[in-house]
Amino acid sequence: MDFANLAAQLNAGTILPEGIVIITLMGVLIFDLILGRTSARWIGYLAIAGLLSAVVALYFQWDAVNPIAFTGGFNSDDLSIIFRGIIALSAVVTILMSIRYVEQSGTALAEFIAILLTATLGGMFLSGASELVMIFISLETLSISSYLLTGYTKRDPRSNEAALKYLLIGASSTAVFLYGVSLLYGLSGGQTQLSAIADGIVAANLGQSLGVVIALVFVIAGIGFKISAAPFHQWTPDVYEGAPTPVIAFLSVGSKAAGFALAIRLLTTVFPYVAEEWKFVFTALAVLSMVLGNVVALAQTSMKRMLAYSSIAQAGFVMIGLIAGTDAGYASMIFYLLVYLFMNLCGFTCIILFSLRTGTDQIAEYSGLYQKDPLLTLGLSISLLSLGGIPPLAGFFGKIYLFWAGWQAGLYWMVLLGLVTSVVSIYYYIRVVKMMVVKEPQEMSEVVKNYPEIRWNLPGYRPLQVGLVVTLIATSIAGILSNPLFTLANNSVTNTAILQPEKVVSTQVSAIPPEKPEGL
Amino acid sequence: MLSVLIWLPILSAIVIGFWPSNPNQAGRIRLVSLTVAGIVLLWNLFILLKFDISNPGMQFQEYVPWNDTLGLSYQLGVDGLSILMLVLNSLLTWIAIYSSSTQTERPRLFYSMILLVSGGVAGAFLAENLLLFFLFYELELIPFYLLISIWGGEKRAYAGIKFLIYTAVSSAFILATFLGMVWLTGATSFAFDAISTQTLSATMQLVLLAGIILGFGIKIPLVPFHTWLPDAYVEASAPIAILLGGVLAKLGTYGLLRFGLGMFPQAWTVVAPTLAIWGAVSAIYGAVIAIAQKDIKRMVAYSSIGHMGYVLLASAASTSLALVGAVSQMFSHGIILAILFHLVGVIEAKVGTRELDKLNGLMSPIRGLPLISALLVLSGMASAGIPGLTGFIAEFIVFQGSFSVFPLPTLLCVASSGLTAVYFVILLNRTCFGKLDNNLAYYPRVLWSEKTPALILAVLIIFLGVQPTWLVRWSEPTTTAMIAAIPPVEKTVNSQVALK
Repeated sequence: MDFANLAAQLNAGTILPEGIVIITLMGVLIFDLILGRTSARWIGYLAIAGLLSAVVALYFQWDAVNPIAFTGGFNSDDLSIIFRGIIALSAVVTILMSIRYVEQSGTALAEFIAILLTATLGGMFLSGASELVMIFISLETLSISSYLLTGYTKRDPRSNEAALKYLLIGASSTAVFLYGVSLLYGLSGGQTQLSAIADGIVAANLGQSLGVVIALVFVIAGIGFKISAAPFHQWTPDVYEGAPTPVIAFLSVGSKAAGFALAIRLLTTVFPYVAEEWKFVFTALAVLSMVLGNVVALAQTSMKRMLAYSSIAQAGFVMIGLIAGTDAGYASMIFYLLVYLFMNLCGFTCIILFSLRTGTDQIAEYSGLYQKDPLLTLGLSISLLSLGGIPPLAGFFGKIYLFWAGWQAGLYWMVLLGLVTSVVSIYYYIRVVKMMVVKEPQEMSEVVKNYPEIRWNLPGYRPLQVGLVVTLIATSIAGILSNPLFTLANNSVTNTAILQPEKVVSTQVSAIPPEKPEGL
Repeated sequence: MLSVLIWLPILSAIVIGFWPSNPNQAGRIRLVSLTVAGIVLLWNLFILLKFDISNPGMQFQEYVPWNDTLGLSYQLGVDGLSILMLVLNSLLTWIAIYSSSTQTERPRLFYSMILLVSGGVAGAFLAENLLLFFLFYELELIPFYLLISIWGGEKRAYAGIKFLIYTAVSSAFILATFLGMVWLTGATSFAFDAISTQTLSATMQLVLLAGIILGFGIKIPLVPFHTWLPDAYVEASAPIAILLGGVLAKLGTYGLLRFGLGMFPQAWTVVAPTLAIWGAVSAIYGAVIAIAQKDIKRMVAYSSIGHMGYVLLASAASTSLALVGAVSQMFSHGIILAILFHLVGVIEAKVGTRELDKLNGLMSPIRGLPLISALLVLSGMASAGIPGLTGFIAEFIVFQGSFSVFPLPTLLCVASSGLTAVYFVILLNRTCFGKLDNNLAYYPRVLWSEKTPALILAVLIIFLGVQPTWLVRWSEPTTTAMIAAIPPVEKTVNSQVALK
């Protein structure tokens, strides 16, 4: 094989964004080694610059003519680009949050950022991975970094416990996933590439055999763990409560987006012949997640725990799009994950700010906050109301699109359940708003009475403020000005070969304007 | 042109919300909001003047494409069904702001929420797109929750949450039905004119119509779903109660007329008898429960349930006359309820109680509240349907229009109108007449600024009572056109019945 041919097959330009992240990661580590703690002042900004340039690099990859790279190991189609973008952006906001948080906990910032960037890298590779080994390696990169991040504040027993719990459940669910993957390898006659596996299974006349179904269930166990779908959710509340808050912010958006990216890619390419079965399984997961997440969240007293159950519930909503399995369904998932990025990270930024200033995150302690900190109250209220789906915020449009796509696909009962559980969710989201806004000055909690004077010029507070304001504005107007985001989500689905099996030829040309999804 | 009605209040709400804070700002912020509301009201009257009465269709239409993927477009228009509601909305917003002069706690949030609600309600009345309607409909949820639960009475937290949950459930029903309407008919967008339900099977139409009735029935409210209303109305402060009862309840009946009757004419004829009986039961129930109340605000709140029953009866009858009556009843109930809540608010502020057993002799010229009591008598009479006042006109048209179709429910409603007179006489008797308690009756003076809103409304009530053309002329062509859409359908239903 001559070199030119090999280079064309490697097509290494497609992982330029990841390359930038790797260089940033090395940079962070090396500067930390050379300069020691003094680098903590600017090392966060270096990482942010690296991640943002990775996002810019992703922009230039949009609609690549030949997205397949590394002889089929990596697929840089538009679907993967959008998920890689979501993951990188969630890492950006996470770093904005963590600069102060990690400093205050007395641990090294550069190490934290290095692990976070590794997790980002794993997530980004996972979004485009289209080969079993590649999927497993990137999944493990993401997971192992997440365990480390969860237990990063190692003097805190709750963080330790959370890390242990996350590690044990995570490692076993990865093992289950690996077993499913190895079954796929065997069933398909030794194929590891996703596109070849489906053909291999059909060739071996195993279309809907028991082996395929078992492999499917094992794979779903691994995916369900990442997106914290009930009943694979048990780690979520404990980890969310124990882990450092910026880590939770990343896990709830970045890691979850990676899980959904994996779900779309794996299920549509490998299991097209058992689509009924996996849709049925995911229906069950979605119903369980929506009901359990929303109902149990009603009874929470800790803010982080409430958001843990809320994130389980939100995963349930997103699964409606996956079950619909139409263009509009996938696009609505992507759109929802995009706005979920803004609203969840906005909410977590406010929680971090509050716990930095007062040292607690009990819901009852928020009472009367509007008097002392209006910006925080506004940010947290808007993000929670958006999570509850109140117009005209971003979350409303996200949910409407999900329900709309679900209804189009005939999932009437799912949509109705989603509506009902949305009503339930409004109750617990509004409870926090009530604490902050409605309570009278004399009902103020102790910590709010002693609320420190608001100063943004302390080290590390400015990036928090920037992150808060940017995500707050995005949450407020991403719904009203949603057209670009909708176009982005729709195009990424219609331009993706794996989601358009019958239109492969036209998408390869990519000069053809994207078609509107049917029926809209 | 119409966008001003929506965006001027909403934008000024945002501006007021971010107004730099200083301690003695309540007055200034109130003045700014009052000016904004005044401009909106004048603009609304200007639109009313320009409104072409002979045109049954949508006027002053505006269209901006918004989101094609969702079929959501910014599409506004006004017709005979909505024009009066818009005027009512801006008038009552102005009055609510005017009469909240004592509001000194957290004025920024208060006034910005009121303006937000005003813009949202105007948007809902103007929207010509189901999703746009829903967006505006749901927009009032959180502001009203805050308005009730921050500035309300003793049990405001409970009332606020109850209101929130009922309204959220109502919007869930409405959204599900809207999605169903659009997708099942295969429409390409949520625009009103893109949807025609004629193609659906009768069962499907009935199911969707049931969703509409349940969704808006909670808001109106109809009898089994009304339990949020007494709490919310009673616990809300007077200006908020004016908005709640005057404007928000109209969203429910408007939705029922526009989406129920307007979009399911065929199924509507099937459920009409049930609705007529339902309306009559609501009316009787509201009146009877009101008689039993010991709290004047609660009485007024239940009177509202009764009066909305008439609207339901008229919508069910769906003759041209009955629909004119329904729209007139919506408007007159809005202004009558507003004046009642305002007066009750004044009495509560001056006397310090709302209990029927403690109030007495307010008619006393020197030490009582003579003008307020006189106005209370007037508005009680208007509510009970005494000729010469707008309440009578509206109710009479309703009864006249419905009698030919549903005689029995109409008679029941007439009877409940009599019961209305009963509890208002009880109310007036216990509050206005009798003797003042010499030890307790040292009431503060009623300021002119507190009388003005009631006087304006009273003048309006009397004027529309003696000159009812000004009440009915706006909606006539539109309702006639709506009815004209029904008869051919009715025949097919009859023929189907005959075939069986």
